[in-house]
Amino acid sequence: MFTKLALRNVRRQIGNYLIYFITVSLTVALLFAVNNIIFGDEIAKFAQGMTEMRTGLAGFVVFIALIVAFVLSYATSFMLRLRKREFGTYLTLGMTRKNILTIFVFETAIICLIAMGIGLVLGLFIYQGLMAIFMHLLNMEFAISAYSMNGMLFTIALVTGIFIISSVASALYLKKVSIYDLIHGDKKVEKSVKHPLVWLIITVLTLVVCICSIAVFYWSVDEIMMKGMNANYLFLSLFAFAGSMILFHVALSKSLVYVLMKRKRFCSRGTHIFVLRQLSAVLGSNALMIGLLAFLLSFSVIAANVCFVQKAMQELSLNQNCPYDIVYSDNLYSTGDTGKVPLPQAEEVIESYKHIEAKYPYALYTTGKNDFYRNTRWSGEGYAGLTDSFMSVSDFNAVTQPLGFDPVVLNDTYLIVANLPEITDYDWENFTFTWKEQDYKYGGVTREYPSLAYMYFYVVVPDAAVEDMKKEVSYMAYDITDGEYDAASLRQALSYTVEREDGAETYERTDFRFREYSRQQENATSAILVVGALFAAAIFLFMAMAILALKTLSGLSDDKKRYQILYRLGTGEKEQGRTLFAQTFTFFLTPFAACILISVPTAMIIKHIITLSGMAVLQWQIYGIAASIAGVMTLIYILYYAATYMIAKKAVVHR
Amino acid sequence: MKEILKIQNVVKYYGNGSVVIKALDGISFSVAKGEFVAIMGASGSGKSTLLNVIATIDRASAGEIYIGGKQISAMREEALSAFRRDALGFVFQEYNLLDTLTIGENIALPLYLKKVGHDRAERELQRVAQALDIGDQLQKFPYELSGGQRQRAACARAIITDPSLILADEPTGALDSKNSKGLMQTFQKMHTALGSTLLMVTHDPVVGSYADRLLFLKDGKIWSEVLRGGRSRQEMHREILSVTAALGGEADVY
Repeated sequence: MFTKLALRNVRRQIGNYLIYFITVSLTVALLFAVNNIIFGDEIAKFAQGMTEMRTGLAGFVVFIALIVAFVLSYATSFMLRLRKREFGTYLTLGMTRKNILTIFVFETAIICLIAMGIGLVLGLFIYQGLMAIFMHLLNMEFAISAYSMNGMLFTIALVTGIFIISSVASALYLKKVSIYDLIHGDKKVEKSVKHPLVWLIITVLTLVVCICSIAVFYWSVDEIMMKGMNANYLFLSLFAFAGSMILFHVALSKSLVYVLMKRKRFCSRGTHIFVLRQLSAVLGSNALMIGLLAFLLSFSVIAANVCFVQKAMQELSLNQNCPYDIVYSDNLYSTGDTGKVPLPQAEEVIESYKHIEAKYPYALYTTGKNDFYRNTRWSGEGYAGLTDSFMSVSDFNAVTQPLGFDPVVLNDTYLIVANLPEITDYDWENFTFTWKEQDYKYGGVTREYPSLAYMYFYVVVPDAAVEDMKKEVSYMAYDITDGEYDAASLRQALSYTVEREDGAETYERTDFRFREYSRQQENATSAILVVGALFAAAIFLFMAMAILALKTLSGLSDDKKRYQILYRLGTGEKEQGRTLFAQTFTFFLTPFAACILISVPTAMIIKHIITLSGMAVLQWQIYGIAASIAGVMTLIYILYYAATYMIAKKAVVHR
Repeated sequence: MKEILKIQNVVKYYGNGSVVIKALDGISFSVAKGEFVAIMGASGSGKSTLLNVIATIDRASAGEIYIGGKQISAMREEALSAFRRDALGFVFQEYNLLDTLTIGENIALPLYLKKVGHDRAERELQRVAQALDIGDQLQKFPYELSGGQRQRAACARAIITDPSLILADEPTGALDSKNSKGLMQTFQKMHTALGSTLLMVTHDPVVGSYADRLLFLKDGKIWSEVLRGGRSRQEMHREILSVTAALGGEADVY
């Protein structure tokens, strides 16, 4: 009998279950798509290190699934509350709570099973879409990807787990709720939030903390990149931001209506007081949930921005760090190397992969002293072995001119080429470098050149100056013919084993740096980051919208009576529609608005970091990315809101 | 006396196809300004349908209804809403107070909907609250009041806009006899002291005995009419009982 009743209920309640159904289907689809990526073999073929990351990513998906379980439990309890009168009637007719739980669990199981079926089918398409993005990010050609059985089993296990958790939550609610509350609902309407003034003060304070934490983060980035300060303040500001973001929304939910209700004239216009009282009840009792949703949405916005910008920066970063196709540096300090490939032989190996079009030798020299380093923070205790590095101006010009730079002319002057922004901040202008009784005055400090040597900075001096210096590192930069090649294999061919001095361990190393290999590595990282960020953002966005929609819809039976009273008092259909819009839109907007506004400081901070990294060219692209992410999220949000509003309008507005 | 409500040959059908019920069958009557009229009748006689049609929350199938000289049966939906807001006051059996609003906000809501301005709304609120003796309940929520107090608040809400006509649908239906008596005294106060025009639907002969005039409905038609004249409430009560007995004896007798 219960089975029959449950099946009939599902058919009858299909309208109420719609949002729940959509949410479960989309969640299953997204989980399945990502699990396919994690457990499939496709990505592992292309992205090195993917296999090792599988466990970590599966953990990430389980973490996301736990959040989903929590949210869907919340959603299920809404569904239960939506029909509390019906269940109350069952109880008065002599059914036991166990019977009702059986019916409800059976109903939700039917919905979940259908949603899982549809979600898995939808997931097949989303997976192909994600793979297309992935392949594009890896610069690989997209072909229809194979599905993973393990991915499907893992998805089913996760969804089953989510379902069990939400059933337990329903059981707990049904166990404690009284028949009276089921039939009559909560008679006591929240009179007002306790201590609204305190919450108002907390709202203002947390807003100040939120703004200050963003300012401190901005400043910390400066200090870290310019002065090498540790990241304590950076992490502190991140924690302060997360905490204040949650608390701000909790406090705002509890004080917003109080502030507006202080404006008597505003309240006494049309249905304003009705809307405010409706919001007071719903915001006040859901303040913590709104705080958590705001945090998840902010996380989505920030993560999506960082990942997309990271991808956009990739090519510029590659040009900065690997200006030549291949760069060789001899390792004058290494001992115990076995199998080290001599340079002529190595060039033959390179030729077997790609033709070498041009070679540019250059070298770094040292005086064995730290005249320059003495002016920086890398001097004194702990930096005893750190000595200055010099490059002759002819070497420098020879290696930078093919990259499109004008030749440098030095007349008894020196030029500092910095790899870190803070180097430019030291007082060099008054520093004169003296070597072999010759003075070299300050000729400039620059960060505009790409990284030719991997150190904080080196000094370009006239050729005569390096004649008496000791050669420190020899380099050879190579231009090879354009086109793809197996950089990983070439790197492997030019690697050798290094034994540590204690002889206990050995490790692989190579004296070559390959631009193509770096590109592949960065492609894999950014592909994982971008797809991960997209996944997390989509899940969090859907969860937030589902909660808000279900919360709105679960209150419809009460709202229906209230809007009927408004109708009888002479509120027309249009006015009722406007009132419902003000009520539901404010509820939807409360956790969303600040998160979208976060796009602005996020873009500003990213722009700042990029400027400090010497890649100012990307500045406007960053604002474009931030605007696009905010735009897409807002669009999805509006669509979900519109669906909710239409359902609510149909249910409560009287004609 | 100026005519506030005029009904001519109002007919109302329910249902369609093979099952059609004629709930109102050519009803005609009028209510003068300041009059207190009660409509009585057995269940299914059409009294609630008649009230709903007059209240503009249901439409008549045929006939004409004039309130304050305006023919409401020809009005469009938005105009009807505005008319309901401006010209009518309601008191329902289930109070129909908004549970999320305070009593004061509930009473003042029709003025807010009319956008009369905060100061005037506040003045009017104090005026009706004093008149109906609920000045100390304004900050409370409906769930904090008894049924009688809630219904008095609903009365205050009904009169705050000074409507042409106040419609009451079984206003004592959810009240005990003590609270019913209190409410009817409130109605009398509204009628005599504030000059309100009242049209009330009730089952209860005791409640009906407060009215100036009673219309008895049977099968969607006016079956009988009783005028108070100079009679006392007890005499009216006896008269009502005898009419309901002749009608079929379905009215509640206490």
